[in-house]
Amino acid sequence: MTIGTEAFRGALDAITRVRGVRGALVVTRDDGLIVADTLMEDVRGNAVAALTASLFSRVGLATGEAGAGRAQFVHLQAEGGLVLALAVNEELLVVALAEAGANVGLIRLEMLRAGEVVR
Amino acid sequence: MADAVRAMAQEFARDPDSLVFLRLGEQLRHRGDLEAAESVALAGLDRYPDLPEARDLYARVLVDRGHPAEARQVWESILAVEGRYPGAHKGLGFLAYAEGDLDAALDHLETALAADPAEPGVIEALRIVRTTVEEAEAEQVVPAVFERLDATEAGMLLIDRRGRVLGGTLQRDGRSVADEVAAYLTGVTQEAVRAARLLRLGRWEWLIAEGELDNLHVTAPTEDTRLLVMRERSIPPGRLAFLAAKAHDAAREWLEAQRP
Amino acid sequence: MSRTVAVQPWTAAPLEHFISEAGARLALLMTPAGQVFAQHGFTRAVDVMSAAALGAAIVSSTGEIARMLSEPRFAELGHQGRGYGVFLAAFDTPLDSLVLLAIYGRESSLGLVKLFYEEFVEEIVEVCPEPEPRTQVLAADFERDLNASLAALFET
Repeated sequence: MTIGTEAFRGALDAITRVRGVRGALVVTRDDGLIVADTLMEDVRGNAVAALTASLFSRVGLATGEAGAGRAQFVHLQAEGGLVLALAVNEELLVVALAEAGANVGLIRLEMLRAGEVVR
Repeated sequence: MADAVRAMAQEFARDPDSLVFLRLGEQLRHRGDLEAAESVALAGLDRYPDLPEARDLYARVLVDRGHPAEARQVWESILAVEGRYPGAHKGLGFLAYAEGDLDAALDHLETALAADPAEPGVIEALRIVRTTVEEAEAEQVVPAVFERLDATEAGMLLIDRRGRVLGGTLQRDGRSVADEVAAYLTGVTQEAVRAARLLRLGRWEWLIAEGELDNLHVTAPTEDTRLLVMRERSIPPGRLAFLAAKAHDAAREWLEAQRP
Repeated sequence: MSRTVAVQPWTAAPLEHFISEAGARLALLMTPAGQVFAQHGFTRAVDVMSAAALGAAIVSSTGEIARMLSEPRFAELGHQGRGYGVFLAAFDTPLDSLVLLAIYGRESSLGLVKLFYEEFVEEIVEVCPEPEPRTQVLAADFERDLNASLAALFET
């Protein structure tokens, strides 16, 4: 069954409805390209996609070497915001960009739901 | 393997400008056919006198043939033009280690690693040298980084900005993987810092990675150090963060105590 | 001496910045006609010539497809192999149209290359000198200029 990008966007909209979320994307893991996105105007989606995919890839090398298994979820916290990335399958990530104090638990829940749609 | 070498030799004979001499020379080295390896390396150098890979191959052959001083000159000539060429740093690191100069060996191998973070040969060489350093320093009485924590030091690593382990241990299948993980972690934190900067999120503070089996928490006790705390997935993320905060404080105290 | 060599010196710093951030292994900056302004990572003149000629041909042929579709020029093209990817993009500067050819390995990605390509274009346009008055290009002049570029790129 082929899932259209409209279904992806619907899933991403639910993520962006969580307070503090500035953007949500479905991103290819290998290329760091956007498959679907819902972004606030000032968010550079292509930068989020490329940098998050690259970070996730490097994290995967570290978790593998440490014996922690394949990376499944990454939370990057910075002074002014955060990035969350969820591995949906071997090819795709669901990514959320949010303000520093956003409710990570709630965002993560919506990301997991979005992952079910995207998978 | 013999067929592959023969094919490469034929290609090189057909096209002396081909770069196949690099792979051919390497294969001949591994087979122990050093005279042939040297001939190939010299023929390649004749065509490409300034190619760092050609010089690197020749230097490795020189070491194999028992001419370390000449090999050193060749590697230093590479670095005179291309100061971060990882092959040259790896070779000079090996020579330094063989001569017992562990500090120089570490400097060269860490530079090689910084230029190519995923190169397994460099990671393995670093592991060997660091193990030797640790054994040499074993007589010194330096308190463990995390000794004041209730939790075991296992699954915690404090590393410096060059990816060297300052304290803690990390085991996998009964063997230490601390050096390897420290090397990969350097790449992770570099990318995290870059992502935070380019996405205009401000200064990077910490990162949590959930793996299939364990979770990792990475933070920076100081600008020049990184702290990894790893625990099984059964430990809730909040508790991991709490443990990481305690380890963070312990690491800062230890680092402060080490200052001259 | 780094492995970035620029016939046009003003291109060196932006190209090195692009290489460093995008993690590309090879890069070529040239005109759509294949005249090379700068290169990074190539070790043989014949490889530069081949890459420049092939890159220019790809830009030209995809330009024809764009024309058939009544589209403006295609801005970017990417090919992904097992171990390497190729990125080809054309952009305008006050001086001339230019083409960037970048080859990257698994330590980078198309997304990263595209991301830092955007910054590269901004930097190039910012440092690009003003164009000199155009003169008619003769075939002999072109070949002389091409040979001079190659000599400069591989001068030791």
